[in-house]
Amino acid sequence: MARTTMEFETALEVLQRSIEEHGYTVAHVQRCDGGMRGMGYETDNYKTVFFGKHDEITRLSKKYPELIPYLPLKIVIYAEGEESILAILNPIALGEFIPDAELQIQLQRWHSDIKSVLADMR
Amino acid sequence: MKVVNSRFWSSTIIILILGMLAAEGIYAAPDGEQLYSEHCIACHGTHGAGGIGLPLIAQTLGSVTDDYLYKTVRYGRPGRIMPAYPTLSDAQVAALIAYLRSWAPQQEIITKAATGEAGSGETLYAKHCIACHGKDGSGGDGTGVTFSRPRSFGIMPPALNNPGFLKAASDSVIRHTITRGRLDTEMPAFSDLLSAQEIDDIILYIRAFEEQQKPTASVKGPASLIFASPYDFETTVQRVREALKGNNFRVFGDRYLEQGLSDFEDQHNRNTRIRFCNFENLYGMLGIDPRLGILLPCGLTVVENDDKSVDLIAMNVNAIASVFNNEQLTVLSEAMLEAILLVVEEATF
Repeated sequence: MARTTMEFETALEVLQRSIEEHGYTVAHVQRCDGGMRGMGYETDNYKTVFFGKHDEITRLSKKYPELIPYLPLKIVIYAEGEESILAILNPIALGEFIPDAELQIQLQRWHSDIKSVLADMR
Repeated sequence: MKVVNSRFWSSTIIILILGMLAAEGIYAAPDGEQLYSEHCIACHGTHGAGGIGLPLIAQTLGSVTDDYLYKTVRYGRPGRIMPAYPTLSDAQVAALIAYLRSWAPQQEIITKAATGEAGSGETLYAKHCIACHGKDGSGGDGTGVTFSRPRSFGIMPPALNNPGFLKAASDSVIRHTITRGRLDTEMPAFSDLLSAQEIDDIILYIRAFEEQQKPTASVKGPASLIFASPYDFETTVQRVREALKGNNFRVFGDRYLEQGLSDFEDQHNRNTRIRFCNFENLYGMLGIDPRLGILLPCGLTVVENDDKSVDLIAMNVNAIASVFNNEQLTVLSEAMLEAILLVVEEATF
């Protein structure tokens, strides 16, 4: 989890740019806040950014089908006052469930890239 | 003579290498400010303003010992947002504490174990503490992350029965907090309301929570659940959609796994993620911890394998939720998993 002093819309834009600068493609951005407001919940801006590398996702989903529900990778971003909070599911946590040596290297790489993206946001 | 020269050059080379390493920061002392920025700022805010985590203002920092800070960093608060940091070195934790101490020194805290009657403490606890900290000391609901949590409290009332808290907080620290309260939180000072003995009785009652500790949740099962479908790809997709609607899930537009990741849309892709949601469950989970958005909305992926067999793949929400180690979340994720399994059963029947 990371906090940025950027307000939500700016943070969302910078996040997507940083993801792409790290060699990933943003697949789509999903609104979560609209539906929640519609249901009567008073929530702040909340979006999920899905991203990945096409070939990597294709290859890994074939080799490790149990990874499929966690792909593409995601970062959630939500406003906290005039700042923004970013949260991820640490890829390394998945390693506890899928103890494959080769996969650990991949998870570590994702972890490292995401950490670098979050560092860009601080 | 040759030996002397050899020793001289060996020493010189070692000194040079060490000098270079130091210049590269490899041997440099840990930087507390940098560690705070990396690990703490998301919850405790810039300069300790708080928000998700406790405000680390002078009065709060002053009321705890370095030992309390060390153990809090080391053990965290299981089930709450404050994680344990077992991989930070002692030098890093010390640097972090030194950085916090640059904001506020420790106040004088009298070191003394509590003595008295936990039974009397129970009555006093019920009168003065229960409204915020709960009957069993479990504090506020959820993991402590804000978002949809009602903000009637500046921060969530802490769980006094939390094993991390009980390890970190000495009797002296608890006494100091009860006596003086916590600024910027709802915790009042009780020095005018309770006698020293009454405060000690409450401390002993809080200590008794240690004996009621529940076992820590462990990782349950695989990351995903994979089911073979007896139907072809299209039929399976159709049956899953119908089963979801029949079980009162709202179904969103399908996506395939690589969708949006390439300029060329693959029209022949043989995987489809059927995305769905049970809003009541979703809001329940987000209310406990908004980070759970990373697992939502729920999805069932239908995959056609090279041999034309079809699998149905679901996230094992119960296993992943166990990473958060929060009892309320476990209950909701178990209900969610049960509902998903029902859908799978209907779709593959």
